[in-house]
Amino acid sequence: MTEQGTEQDTKEQDQSRGMRLAYYPGCVSKSTGKEMDLSTRAVCSALDIALEELEDWNCCGATHVANDLISVGLAARNMAQTDLPIMTPCAICYSNLRSAARCMDEPTVRAKVNAALTKKYSGAQVKHVLDVVIDALSKDPDKVAVPLTGLKVAPYYGCLMTRPRGGIDSPEYPTILEKLIRYLKADPVNFRLKTFCCGGPIFTTEQQAAEDVAYQILSEAKKAGAEVIVTLCPLCHLMLDAKQKSLETKRGETFGIPVLYVTQLVGIALGLGPDELGLNMNSVSPVPIIDKVYESMT
Amino acid sequence: MAEIGKDKDAGFLKEVVRLAGPEVRTCIQCGTCSASCPTASLMDKKPRQIIKMVLECRKDEALSAKSPWFCTSCQACVVRCPRGINPRAVMSAVREICEHEGRVPKDLSYDEIFQRQVRENGRVSELQISGEYALANPKSTVQAMELGLEMVPRRKISLERVKVKRPEEIERIFEELGKA
Ligand code: SF4
Ligand code: SF4
Repeated sequence: MTEQGTEQDTKEQDQSRGMRLAYYPGCVSKSTGKEMDLSTRAVCSALDIALEELEDWNCCGATHVANDLISVGLAARNMAQTDLPIMTPCAICYSNLRSAARCMDEPTVRAKVNAALTKKYSGAQVKHVLDVVIDALSKDPDKVAVPLTGLKVAPYYGCLMTRPRGGIDSPEYPTILEKLIRYLKADPVNFRLKTFCCGGPIFTTEQQAAEDVAYQILSEAKKAGAEVIVTLCPLCHLMLDAKQKSLETKRGETFGIPVLYVTQLVGIALGLGPDELGLNMNSVSPVPIIDKVYESMT
Repeated sequence: MAEIGKDKDAGFLKEVVRLAGPEVRTCIQCGTCSASCPTASLMDKKPRQIIKMVLECRKDEALSAKSPWFCTSCQACVVRCPRGINPRAVMSAVREICEHEGRVPKDLSYDEIFQRQVRENGRVSELQISGEYALANPKSTVQAMELGLEMVPRRKISLERVKVKRPEEIERIFEELGKA
């Protein structure tokens, strides 16, 4: 059996110009993932995509709601708030919405869940911002005003971006992020641990285990020669960026690898400014790579 | 330690099946889940072994294992299991049963705090969760402060109390779907 990168590619052909989406920011966008939210809004605006924040959205439960039916209920309540396609920049929210939409195809589940909801769920189209950005850029490659020529980027999918199966790309060997990196004229490095979990969901409770996992990923990125790691999830970002310095101290190793949200990397290539992209909010400063990018232009 | 055979509890398998799906019964013990698991090397009992305990109704052993708390819910096992089983859901079912029976290994479970916040407010604030968790589990304070030092100067901590407009709907989701 072979897994092809295009296997589950079922996305519809949206009109990127004048496109309207419901925007589900997720809880962390108000705190540790502020730059994710900022850069998502900035990049979408630069790509002429209008975002309407989802009415009265609630937490998706992340990975902490053990009861699957409650999880489905939480996600379904969000999805029932709009008729527009729903976009989120968070891989965990994305995975939860997608799983829930699948479960809600089962009539008995739908009936049970809808009985608890005020606005009833009647189907939804769920997208990750990566989906939306790659679509827009494939239609309008000229939007890349600042090509990231020669920049070595580690494409880090983490776990939930492609799981469960049936989403944006193959859960075993996704390549969509590499495709995006090439659109930006940067070079994706061969990143062996690209779908390995970051350990984030257990970092508070099982610190050692979570740090072991994050350390492996950073070491692998370093070995692969990455100058920057790109992430699709605020928890991956936290583990690799905010915890990088303390991991360096504890393990006696230097990484110094900036970790950017995909929307921050795309934003740089669209020529957006550091404030718009929240670049000063990253723990490991991305200034060296920005300098490199602009130097290579002159 | 549990005495093997003494703790057989047929209701345990039923409860896990209810929470994680009937496919569990078809496990062939191939070990693909364990081999795919990012934290298996740190687990006392691997995912495959937990599933075996469930199938053999060895409740006490399963609830004594630390590994369900090491599960990150990454779903690597889910996409690879040749029997279409959801080992992640088995891990969380075991955690949920531990919670119901008051057998959480830590003083207060993170999942419990997280869920309580979602249930009360419809949204979560990371600051409040880690604060509450640190109070109950003082060992985690160092890590929380370490992270605070990264987040506070970058204004990535929110003091705002967030709540959805219709919390009663969230309560219904927990109440009605929790027992369904
Ligand atoms: S991968 Fe599936 S069939 Fe194999 S041991 Fe794990 S649960 Fe059982
Ligand atoms: S979901 Fe849990 S048990 Fe399954 S591979 Fe991931 S960490 Fe391991």
